[in-house]
Amino acid sequence: MAHDFTQAHHLPKVRGEHRRPADPYDLPRQRRGTTPQMHGRYPDYDVLEQTDAWDGPTRAVVLARIHDVPDRRFFTEAEATTLGAFCDDVLAQDSEPRIPVLAFVDAKHAAGQTEGYRYAGMPADGETWRLVARGLDDAAGDGEGGYASADDERRQEIVNAFRGGGLRGGPWDDLAISRAWSVVTRDLVSAFYAHPWAWNEIGFGGPAYPRGYARMGVGLSEAWEGAEAIDPDPVPDVKRKGYE
Amino acid sequence: MTAHLLKGAILPRDNDSARLLHPTRRAVPGRDRMRRYAGDDEVDMLIVGCGAGGGVLAQRLARAGWRVCVLERGPFWDPETDWVSDEAGSAHIYWNDERIIGGDDPVEMGKNNSGHGVGGSMVHYAGYTPRFHPSDFETQTRDGVGADWPIAYGDLRGDYEDVERELPVAGQDWPWGDPHSYPHAPHPVCGAAERAWEGALRHGIEMRVGPVAIANGVFGNRPHCIYRGFCLQGCKVNAKASPLVTHVPDALAHGAEIRTGCMAVRVEVDRSRRAHGVTYVHDDRERFQRAAAVAVCGYSIESPRLLLNSHGPGFPHGVGNGDDQVGRYLMVQGAPQVAGRFPELLRMYKGPPPEVSSEQFYETDPSRGFARGFSIQTVSPLPIGWAEHVLADGHIGAALREYMRDYNHWAVLGALSELLPQPGNRVTLADETDASGMPLARFDYTQCENDRRNIAFAKQTLHDIWESAGAQDVLTIDRYAHLVGGCRMGTAPDNSVVDADHRVWGTDNVFVADGSVMPTQGSANPALTVMALASRLARRLGRKHVATRPRTAAASARTA
Repeated sequence: MAHDFTQAHHLPKVRGEHRRPADPYDLPRQRRGTTPQMHGRYPDYDVLEQTDAWDGPTRAVVLARIHDVPDRRFFTEAEATTLGAFCDDVLAQDSEPRIPVLAFVDAKHAAGQTEGYRYAGMPADGETWRLVARGLDDAAGDGEGGYASADDERRQEIVNAFRGGGLRGGPWDDLAISRAWSVVTRDLVSAFYAHPWAWNEIGFGGPAYPRGYARMGVGLSEAWEGAEAIDPDPVPDVKRKGYE
Repeated sequence: MTAHLLKGAILPRDNDSARLLHPTRRAVPGRDRMRRYAGDDEVDMLIVGCGAGGGVLAQRLARAGWRVCVLERGPFWDPETDWVSDEAGSAHIYWNDERIIGGDDPVEMGKNNSGHGVGGSMVHYAGYTPRFHPSDFETQTRDGVGADWPIAYGDLRGDYEDVERELPVAGQDWPWGDPHSYPHAPHPVCGAAERAWEGALRHGIEMRVGPVAIANGVFGNRPHCIYRGFCLQGCKVNAKASPLVTHVPDALAHGAEIRTGCMAVRVEVDRSRRAHGVTYVHDDRERFQRAAAVAVCGYSIESPRLLLNSHGPGFPHGVGNGDDQVGRYLMVQGAPQVAGRFPELLRMYKGPPPEVSSEQFYETDPSRGFARGFSIQTVSPLPIGWAEHVLADGHIGAALREYMRDYNHWAVLGALSELLPQPGNRVTLADETDASGMPLARFDYTQCENDRRNIAFAKQTLHDIWESAGAQDVLTIDRYAHLVGGCRMGTAPDNSVVDADHRVWGTDNVFVADGSVMPTQGSANPALTVMALASRLARRLGRKHVATRPRTAAASARTA
């Protein structure tokens, strides 16, 4: 299905509450560079082709996210399995290539990095993550493999219950659940949207010093900024949908 | 009045900072030649914190010949090497030490409202620099809410004009409050702000470009803005104003010492209720700096924390806390943001996030059902900020990704709702301590009914603007912005912490000169007013002279 992004029919609220979001696999496949799951709106835009326009300290910080993915130091292997599945669900990363979000969350808490506040009655943020891992497994019930082994539908139910504050018992009784939701989702989106692959997906211009921007009005773009593409590539689309 | 003001390249008279900066390097020159005081040298003024208040006070007093030393907890930033054009890579520029937040409506700290290092929170503020309105200084008299200040708008007008020239502030002629002009012309705006402007106008709301403290033209050795959009991550260009570039270079040139990596833990006060210096931690070791006078400029959380932690003879519950006033009446602004979706690519990441704003709803209108008002401003989040916005509207998984992919079609407006000062909204010391043994600050915050009505009305107005603009979808996030109060100025020790000269009640020579002294906040961003207050205090302290006796309430009231 072709998309016309001057209209807003693809947006979840416009589609209506009971309809699922549009299938992202109907979007164009990325032709230059990488996006998470290789779908995006700017298939011929790769922000990483612009690195020679970035200042040195910025380039080092951003490229490390691709070339120096930190090893696991904070979470146990079991916690990482559970939380890795949870990260994939919250961020809809259902195929490769994935942004290794949990690795960045792990590194943050291994370093003891805090956000500058802690809700009264809540543990430190890293400890909140551990309790969430136990709570997700607890909510998945008696299965051997915990949350990560539950089927997609069950996991979706658990995530929705977590978001709505509807999980009880076990580790959840040690957490203010809405605060815990805010702690973990903030960490997740910060790690995901810090990654240049996600910038490719959304058409973000990325670091802009010392070059800056000159064309700022409605509908204007710099020469190097990506254009929105409307249609998926027909051949793989037809194959995927089994129309052959 | 400023009617004769020439737009453009006019430099301020009594502040050479813009010329003292290097024309191509961004770091503040002269640090290697900076004057250094020994711990037992008695400096004339020891300032705690080098942000909007402390930075201006240091520059003014150093220029007047005072021996000034500033203790700053964070680093002496070099914008070239220490800051990046990147959201997640900028966590180190915020005050991220743990604080406990409580109450019914807890306020998140860190990147939202707390800075550290030379320049303070102005390193990462958006850059909006509106003045307060005359009404802000007498909300109790006019509207029956909040408090009256012991000074009036007129006491600050000259300082507002001076500071606007020093930053410099760019914007259109300002029709609200006390109408005035700005030294620099308005900046061009991006597509997102154009859409906001049209929607507002169709809804009967006038907006103006600015006011932002971003150079728009030649200004000494400060370059022109390059519209890169990372104002909240520290300006690598030196175009956006913070004390690091607007006041510190001149302070250093006049002999001030700025001692970084120094966390003040106690103001030391003797039996005669005079401070004789400050104990601070540097490299994990306690040290002491002697001083004839102390100015606490640590902002609304750290200033109360320091005073409460400073026990001494005559101050068993903390310096200035004889009447249990320290830490009270702390305020934040309700800052809901509403995003609107448009057919065209708007790319809101281009240009400074602060572009156009309106103060049409600033004053009380009884028909709205609450006292005081709110302002409206463009905000333009970068991707992580946008993701937090989408999350807050309730979208995860494929829906979150879909709204994120739509980023370039959106424009975001924020409101700043004036929330009222309440005694129970305060900083106290928590039972837990930090690595140096100093108790953590705990900040409890709960809205009152007037606050809730204000925020709801402001949010509806933002929705109405986007509807008038023809937005195809809207997304909403509730949040807070800014901090003021906690050591407010007033007329007596039982209603305030400092007098109209910023002197802590019950002491001879301890001052507070930051946003914490404000009794009300209006719906203006506080930075400019913090600077103007420090500028006024420096004028009043006069040349090489600290009065040895505190002013009485009557003598300090309504004088400039």
